[in-house]
Amino acid sequence: MDSSALNSPELQRFLNQEKEKAMVSEMIGKLTSACWDKCITGTPGSKFSSSESTCLANCAQRYMDMSLIIMKRLQQ
Amino acid sequence: MDSFSSPSSTGSSSKFSPEDLMDQLKTQLAQAYAEEFLETVRGKCFDKCITKPGSSLSGSEDSCISRCVERYIEATGIVGRALFNQSR
Repeated sequence: MDSSALNSPELQRFLNQEKEKAMVSEMIGKLTSACWDKCITGTPGSKFSSSESTCLANCAQRYMDMSLIIMKRLQQ
Repeated sequence: MDSFSSPSSTGSSSKFSPEDLMDQLKTQLAQAYAEEFLETVRGKCFDKCITKPGSSLSGSEDSCISRCVERYIEATGIVGRALFNQSR
């Protein structure tokens, strides 16, 4: 493969897509880790209680809410 | 259409096409993600299940670890769906 192929728009598009996918994966990873610590306080059971699964979902969404507030605040 | 697979007249024996590069990148990204996930699960389940390390893993530690891995995978799904199901 000669070096001009590295500039192909196809490859650029692919790299941008993979970069975005990697950022999403990282966000989910970090959020799951943080929310697990907040929500799963006891020994893991054979299924989540409804309060545990609700907590996990809430945790993720509240994090996004917070993120928005922080961005707005920093823009003022 | 595919301008990359024209026969080389330079004699270079490079076999990599952009498709190969993209496949290799995807594989490596998937591997890196899997390794990071594994490391996270190890940490969480060690904290939850091995509270007082003995001279071997007890049966209850063993089953705790299994449940922990399943729950963590489930938690990842819950968080992932919550992030992309913002219905406000």
